[in-house]
Amino acid sequence: MRDVTRPKIDVSRLSKSYVTDRGAVLALRGTDLAIAEGEFVSIVGPSGCGKSTLLYIVGGFLSADGEVLIDGQAVTGPGTDRGVVFQEYALFPWLTVRGNISYGLERQGMATAERMPIVERLIALIGLKGFEDRYPRELSGGMKQRVAIARTLACDPAILLLDEPLGALDAQTREIMQDELLRIWLNTRKTVLMVTHDVTEAVYLSNRICVMSARPGQIVEEFTVDLDRTKTREETFLSDAFNKVRNEVWLSVRRQALAVEQK
Amino acid sequence: MMPRPYFKGWLLRVVPLLLLVGVWAFVSATKLADPAFLPSPLAVLAAFSDLLSGGEIARNLLITLFRAAVGLVLGAVSGVWIGLMMARSQIFRAYVAPIVGGTYSLPKSALIPLFALWFGIGNVTAICAVYLACLLPMIVNTFHGVTATPKVLTWSAEALGTGDREMLSRIYLRHALPDIFTGLRIALGFSFVLAISSEMIASTSGIGKLVFMYGENGTYDYMFGALSCIVIVAFLADRAMLAVTAYCLRWHESAARAETA
Amino acid sequence: MAEQRVSIYSLRLRSLVSVLLLLSAWELAARMHLTPPLFLPPFSVVAMQLGRSLADGTLVADLALSLYRTFAGLALAAAAGVLIGMLMAQSRFVHWMIDPIVALAFPAPKIAFIPVFILWFGIESLSKILLVAFACVFPVIIGTYSAARSVNRIFLWSAFSLGTSKTALLGRVILPACYPRIFATLRIALPVALITTFTAEMVAGGGGMGATLIYSQRFFESPTVYAYIVIMLCVGLVLDAAMVKFQSRYLAWSE
Repeated sequence: MRDVTRPKIDVSRLSKSYVTDRGAVLALRGTDLAIAEGEFVSIVGPSGCGKSTLLYIVGGFLSADGEVLIDGQAVTGPGTDRGVVFQEYALFPWLTVRGNISYGLERQGMATAERMPIVERLIALIGLKGFEDRYPRELSGGMKQRVAIARTLACDPAILLLDEPLGALDAQTREIMQDELLRIWLNTRKTVLMVTHDVTEAVYLSNRICVMSARPGQIVEEFTVDLDRTKTREETFLSDAFNKVRNEVWLSVRRQALAVEQK
Repeated sequence: MMPRPYFKGWLLRVVPLLLLVGVWAFVSATKLADPAFLPSPLAVLAAFSDLLSGGEIARNLLITLFRAAVGLVLGAVSGVWIGLMMARSQIFRAYVAPIVGGTYSLPKSALIPLFALWFGIGNVTAICAVYLACLLPMIVNTFHGVTATPKVLTWSAEALGTGDREMLSRIYLRHALPDIFTGLRIALGFSFVLAISSEMIASTSGIGKLVFMYGENGTYDYMFGALSCIVIVAFLADRAMLAVTAYCLRWHESAARAETA
Repeated sequence: MAEQRVSIYSLRLRSLVSVLLLLSAWELAARMHLTPPLFLPPFSVVAMQLGRSLADGTLVADLALSLYRTFAGLALAAAAGVLIGMLMAQSRFVHWMIDPIVALAFPAPKIAFIPVFILWFGIESLSKILLVAFACVFPVIIGTYSAARSVNRIFLWSAFSLGTSKTALLGRVILPACYPRIFATLRIALPVALITTFTAEMVAGGGGMGATLIYSQRFFESPTVYAYIVIMLCVGLVLDAAMVKFQSRYLAWSE
């Protein structure tokens, strides 16, 4: 019987230090984070506070001191259970849209006949029908990010790790992609951990927001976001509930950012 | 560098060459140059077609191309492998890099007499010289392309279930492909130079030897004829390489820009 | 920083170890007659031959001659190449005229022209110098042309607004801006110049390192062959290092 009260992602006493020219630099200091299944959690904080570092550690790309458990098991490296989307898209430029999306399935040894329907469904999900045989260099930023998301979803990971996924997009595309992300999450109900510097974005998409202090990073405040996700973007942005939470989070982040100035 | 539309541009580019031939014809017709030193274009053309029909050009050209091709392929394959290993293994790099760096400054043609000492006059000497010359650009370019692979690419590949061995072939090598092709183009040039050098220094066959021989015999129209053949073949080989590169790298950003000669 | 220092030392150490291992293996293999002494004379014998050639002046004379030809040819190629490259960048007509010739000549193995240059200019230094110039001029043209074309418009506009005339622009703004690229091209052309000189000397004779090298091979004097190859290697290393030093000293203002 699966323990439903156990967090999906359990981070405790996580510390990470780097060796640089000037000696050891502490990026994260004894931070804790517990994420339940199906949650959409955003980490916000001032630049350089270590939020991406935390994400990379959860993803298994970096080692650290402390404990990171996924479903109770310690993380030993990257895995297909944790899909990752980067700000720079990181699409394989030598593969077409279809090639990129089916990449993970090919690695699993899935036969072509099995793969194709999954890939086609995902292409339809991200709205890129007709672009299957294009190379990434022929796509716009927003399209590339959609392909990156679809590529990750193909392996059906239980967890999605997003590192400033919309950071490289212009303002308009960003808004469209936020709605896309929300739609995909509401559809698939995956556990999502997102790093972003955009507070508004965090409030719009997540149901929990963690504010990280300046370096060495530690999660210092948490906010629960309880918005009605069936509302339209316009309704949400103009609602009092939304703006109240946003202001609170913004203030919290600002306090942390100013603390950096004073150091 | 090429004006649009394509055909008109191509035609336009040939005109200066035709003008050059025209100047050549003028100079030899007016005997401004001693015909012994500069045969007329017609004489060269006649010699060229004679060589062609007699099969001499074909026979010797094939020998030269064989030597260049074998050396190039072997050099490219080993070069890519060595470059890949150097990029992925610190230990390998530590011991191999000094040797690679040291031989960079050695003119590979200088080794031709050495190889002639070891292997005598003929194919092996030429192929060895070509092999060593092609090795270096392939190693250097592969190394550069592999080490420049962005972390987010390798991390994404790992998160999508790519094993260690697969990483080499599916990610690192693919990312290095543009650099590898750049090295290949350089190596192609070297393969011709070294093949012909070997032939002039230590061989009894090949088109380099042919040019040299006609020079020694004094039949200069044949000499120029064989030389023109070399220039044309080298040019076409380079163009072919560019075409193959353009096809294999059609996914690369450079494909979006217009082709530069 | 401590980490970095250790790795530089260990890199130098490893290089030294590699070289020493190689030399010891060489000496051992030759002494143990693993290979016929003709093919691989012991390193000590080669070293002695090197000493002898140095002492009687043949090595110095040969080296001086080869280097003279190399640098004369390179200088010629640099002068002509920069001039033509600049003209091509400034004038569309010149570019149209010269570009197809460059495109045709660039992939061609210039070595193949040795018999032509011997025919026209003899077997002494002149033919070799001109051959070297011929071999090196095309990369210099291409490098100069692309450097001149890519000079940042911002520089040009600033110069214009500061009152520079069109002709002065060339000398005072465009050319200096191209120095790093041109120098990088010359640095690549240097090995080409060396190879061309040595090969031309090997094929045609007429004195120089290459000529002695091939005579030694023909008369099976292997210690001399090895000795000369070692010198050629050192020359290549020293010249490249010198160019790097020069670049960091005088062209440090470019990235």
